[in-house]
Amino acid sequence: MPNSFAASLIGVVEPCQCRSSGAASFSGGLIQPEVLRTTSAPLLPIGLAAKESFMDLLLAPQHLEFRDRLRAWLAANMRRPWREELRDPAATEDGLMEFRRAWQKKLHEAGYLGMDWPREWGGRGAGEVEKAIFEEEMAIADAPPILNTLGIGLLGPALIHHGSEEQRRRFIPPMLSGEEIWCQGFSEPGSGSDLASLRTSARLDGDDFVLNGQKIWTTFGPWADWIFVLARTDSKDRYGGISFILCKLDTPGVTVRPLRQITGESEFGEVFFEDARVPRAQLVGQIGEGWRIAMTVLAYERGAMSLAASARYGRDLDCLAEACKEHGRTSAAVREKLARLLVENEVMRANGIRTLAYFAEGKAPGPESSIEKIYWSEFDKRFRDVALDLLGPGGLLLRTSPDARPDVDWAREFLWSRAGTIYSGSSEIQRNIIAKRVLNLPQDAR
Amino acid sequence: MRFELSDDQALLRNSTRDFLASELPLEKTRSVMEHSKVGYDPAEWRRLAEMGYVGLILPARVGGQGLGAVELAIVLEEMGRACVPGPFLDVVLAAALVAAASADDALVREVVAGRKLVTIARDDAPYAGTSAAAVTAGGGRVRGTKYFVPFAASVDALVVTTADGPVLVDGPFTVTPLQTLDLAQRFADVALDHAARPLGGPAELARVDRLAAVGASAMLLGLMSRCLETTLAYVQTRQAFKRPIGAFQALQHRLADMLLRVESTRSAVYRAAWCLSSGAPEAPLACAAAKAYAGDSARHVCGEAIQMHGGIGFTWELDLHLYFKRAKTLEQHYGSTEAQLEAALAAAGY
Repeated sequence: MPNSFAASLIGVVEPCQCRSSGAASFSGGLIQPEVLRTTSAPLLPIGLAAKESFMDLLLAPQHLEFRDRLRAWLAANMRRPWREELRDPAATEDGLMEFRRAWQKKLHEAGYLGMDWPREWGGRGAGEVEKAIFEEEMAIADAPPILNTLGIGLLGPALIHHGSEEQRRRFIPPMLSGEEIWCQGFSEPGSGSDLASLRTSARLDGDDFVLNGQKIWTTFGPWADWIFVLARTDSKDRYGGISFILCKLDTPGVTVRPLRQITGESEFGEVFFEDARVPRAQLVGQIGEGWRIAMTVLAYERGAMSLAASARYGRDLDCLAEACKEHGRTSAAVREKLARLLVENEVMRANGIRTLAYFAEGKAPGPESSIEKIYWSEFDKRFRDVALDLLGPGGLLLRTSPDARPDVDWAREFLWSRAGTIYSGSSEIQRNIIAKRVLNLPQDAR
Repeated sequence: MRFELSDDQALLRNSTRDFLASELPLEKTRSVMEHSKVGYDPAEWRRLAEMGYVGLILPARVGGQGLGAVELAIVLEEMGRACVPGPFLDVVLAAALVAAASADDALVREVVAGRKLVTIARDDAPYAGTSAAAVTAGGGRVRGTKYFVPFAASVDALVVTTADGPVLVDGPFTVTPLQTLDLAQRFADVALDHAARPLGGPAELARVDRLAAVGASAMLLGLMSRCLETTLAYVQTRQAFKRPIGAFQALQHRLADMLLRVESTRSAVYRAAWCLSSGAPEAPLACAAAKAYAGDSARHVCGEAIQMHGGIGFTWELDLHLYFKRAKTLEQHYGSTEAQLEAALAAAGY
């Protein structure tokens, strides 16, 4: 039953397994059904307490030790919380990016990046559990984010699972150290949720691919050195005609243009390809495997987000409750809003703990991770919206404004919350995934 | 670390599901719900007791199984799935309190054996927020009126909450039965002027309240899982516009949200149960969150089930309304959503 999202869903897809097969399904138990019916002996004393492997939501000793070391390391090596870096009057967008690069290098040298990647390619050789603990502790400490999030979050797993030995040796070390920053070339102006309709083409010409087309919403585009591109190598095969290609952004024929987001920042951009020549050796996997590779890495991206997310929201929620107290906002209406956020965040945490336990048993993320993606991203919107309402006009102040609260950049978070339900598979796409791959509902009527 | 049930816990779940399917299927229990005055079948109650369910979480010294909150959640989830009518959760909670105070082991033994019933009388007014004279306990007597006392017409003793802590009161009682929309639980108002024995302080009651929150949440989880399963089966077979209605995205996305509610409730309920059984410090917040979320979610999921069934979903004949009604009762009792939100704020120090 509640061992994992997936396993519990089996009960949904095959309702009433036990009921339909009746007592006959009672096999392998200690007491046979006939015995149950004819004896007055109680059913339940079946040695429950004597058995091991109970539900247990405590971290294993080695994981607790890992967490404690990481905490100590953060306490010794983190200059100040990220929100204070952001509020520094001397901070510039470029300066903050370089700061993140240096911070990433520090984390890498301490062995905290590439957590679940094999040691031979520069990883730590640990597992998803350590990775989830790392993310949670970073959130609790309000540690600065690393710079190469997309390289390490998406391309790394792609290379480890599908890349060649040469590609791993060439690309993973500078990815981890922050020397080479990656951006993701998936979405196109005409291909967002319907990603497989993408049209950027890669034509094989001798030992090169020739790329033509346009990518958009390319996060870190303006800061990146490299891009991993989904490109069409066969116009007739919707899924099997897509390939996964690595391209240096200073390649002739490649142009990057920043896009201004609703936050005023330009973290993402557009990338144009006009007869850009890329060596064939930069193809990951085989020609036509791009879609499969992309789907694998997206599942990793959705991985165990809930735990870290709820730690971050918990911290911000504490700040919000404190602000309400300071401002004398103690009415029942205010308190109910705070309480509902608190409850929803606590449930998110329970989801995260459940996934962590699932990972601890060595299982990989499946389509159920869509549930977690919808949960945290939709919660984020409600939380940031309610926060502004509870703070009143002051919540609209930009962080550079002298009167802005120093605890959280509430205005920026409010705007950013609109992105989470769009990127990495919109909420609508996640619901499609659940409907088809988890609930097994029929192909929808289009 | 492990979220999965142990083999024995899974066995408990499976055997409970089988037992309820053969002994207390809805075909049988509906007539009890619709026609029985007391709201349960006493013979079936004794059977539940013989099987060890009533004493599930009670210590061996009173004939109990000595199991914990996780096992209680497992059993109550199954009871929710089967929409079992009767006083199970109410009796388990009352007996747990009496046993914890070591107030009357002889009574608890009779309860565990299925020969006596005890429940908890909590409400001091019929409507939330109505100011009414609280029941008082002084000089070894309890005086006043308790409202919405579960299965009061059938109990042999009551745990009565008072300003001075809970007390144990032996019957017989003068009761005024109430008719509510929920067919699976009976309530009555009880006029008290009885001898009373103290049952520990607010700390013991608070522990039972957390157990109540987890137990009710587990039942709510069972109710909504069953409603989702039933609805999934229905949308695959019901045709409209020449296709199964489950092919329409308007329903698919809402079914996905129902699954999100069910599975998130499952995470919250079993985590809260684990916190209780392991004495984790997060227990107060985890229990409050589980109950508040489960109440909202079950109302939503059971309501959506009715909507997606269309007209047939609004008929007395279909079982869905039994689930919908149970969900609303459970949402309001065992710590209402409002009370759980307050408990969550207190636990977080807000």
